Amino acid sequence: MTNAIDIRGLKKSYGDHEVLKGLDFCVRQGEIFALLGVNGAGKTTALECIEGLRKYDSGQIAVHGRTGIQLQSASLPEHIRPMEAVKLFAGWNKTTPDRELLAALGIGELAGRQYYQLSTGQRRRLHLALALIGDPDILFLDEPTAGLDVEGRLSLHEQIQKLKALGKTIILASHDMAEVESLCDRIGILTAGKIAFTGTVGELHEKVGKHYHISVRTADGTAVYETDNIRDTLFSLLARYRESGTDILEIRTDRGSLERHFMKIAKGG
Amino acid sequence: MGAFLYGISLQWKMDIRSKTLLITCYIVPLLFFALMGGIFTSVMPGAEKTLIQSMTVFGVSMGAMIGLPPSLVEIYSGGIRKVYKANGVPFCLGLVLTNISAFLHLFLMSVILYGAAPLVFDAEIPENPGAYFAGLAVFILVSLSIASVIGLAVKDQAKTSMFSILVFLPSILLSGIMFPEELLPAGFETLGKLFPAFWGYRLMTENAFRFENLLPLLLIFAAAAFVCGILLRRVRE
Repeated sequence: MTNAIDIRGLKKSYGDHEVLKGLDFCVRQGEIFALLGVNGAGKTTALECIEGLRKYDSGQIAVHGRTGIQLQSASLPEHIRPMEAVKLFAGWNKTTPDRELLAALGIGELAGRQYYQLSTGQRRRLHLALALIGDPDILFLDEPTAGLDVEGRLSLHEQIQKLKALGKTIILASHDMAEVESLCDRIGILTAGKIAFTGTVGELHEKVGKHYHISVRTADGTAVYETDNIRDTLFSLLARYRESGTDILEIRTDRGSLERHFMKIAKGG
Repeated sequence: MGAFLYGISLQWKMDIRSKTLLITCYIVPLLFFALMGGIFTSVMPGAEKTLIQSMTVFGVSMGAMIGLPPSLVEIYSGGIRKVYKANGVPFCLGLVLTNISAFLHLFLMSVILYGAAPLVFDAEIPENPGAYFAGLAVFILVSLSIASVIGLAVKDQAKTSMFSILVFLPSILLSGIMFPEELLPAGFETLGKLFPAFWGYRLMTENAFRFENLLPLLLIFAAAAFVCGILLRRVRE
């Protein structure tokens, strides 16, 4: 599979603060790739450098295809109507808006409203429509579902899956681990200005190693154990608590979440 | 070209939807005309000879200095400029479209004053309408260039209003429309010459397209355009 995006040694500083310290990663054609990182990790800076919106200090960025960009801090003039924005941007890109796509995103329903009258979800849909106007091969989505309610989130997830089915490459930055787990083929974790991990969610679980968490609540508090072998660990824990004569009030087990594994990598674990 | 023309018509429509521009380009200048036109013609003998020009200088200065900068702040200090850049829209488009639209609105307001003043206050129509409207066009253009500098230099809406008023008030008070500049102290008279209103008023009242009035306006415009270029580059980077 060929790559849609190749990044080598990307560096970017703001004054003395080095935000990106040599990023290396690639995004394969037709996949959904999530760039993860804690606040201030440099996700938006990295994306804006790749998108060509921000100058970088050194490194190589190769983007193979037309791009469409939905920004986290996107805005439009207060008094513009959605279809007017679509027509304006289509005019500058010398394309005709895809009516089916606009209908799918519900842009037609917003016809009579001005930008300042739109809800957060409606604005996100409009900005996604604008990003898709030039029929891009690669789509950048920065926090696409931030601020959306459950319905808006599910609707946007559906649209993103449809775009993937059309063969588009999608790179997104997100804080929502459930979203990342359900949507993305691969993830990249950005930590301290470098990529600490790239691979599938399954590969992340493998790397971090401990697949299960066991929480044991007693009168003294709650102890959490990590294990790959839940059956043997449970039996040995029960034996240990019986020998010590401690009463167990509650036992909970769960599979290690992406969120937990992400935090381990993000904190250098 | 089609996209550019669509952009102009769209900006024109958005400006009409925006109450700010309606107030600054039409309502306040026309109310000022209705009120001050009556006062000027009653207390100042001969005021009707320059009423169209003085009211137009006020209206254009008000519309340009107070009306245009907020639109530019909205475009260039928020997420709009990034959306334009990300979607292949030329970076200077916002500046160009808002200026063209404001020019058309201010010219229209001036035409309304030109038609209404003789009917309402028996004001004298300029002897040479061709020279008058050419001078008006230059004056609007130069006023908008100064307003563009304010809109691009200041990143905050509240501060923009403050800077706009700081330019607008001396511009009007020292232009000669309220009282002759000979009555002003020499320092204020010199200060007044730094603003386009001073030269625009003369250009429109002298019934001739005189180079000595035109040159200062062209110099102010060139300086403002140069500064706008620098500011635009700074915003882009």
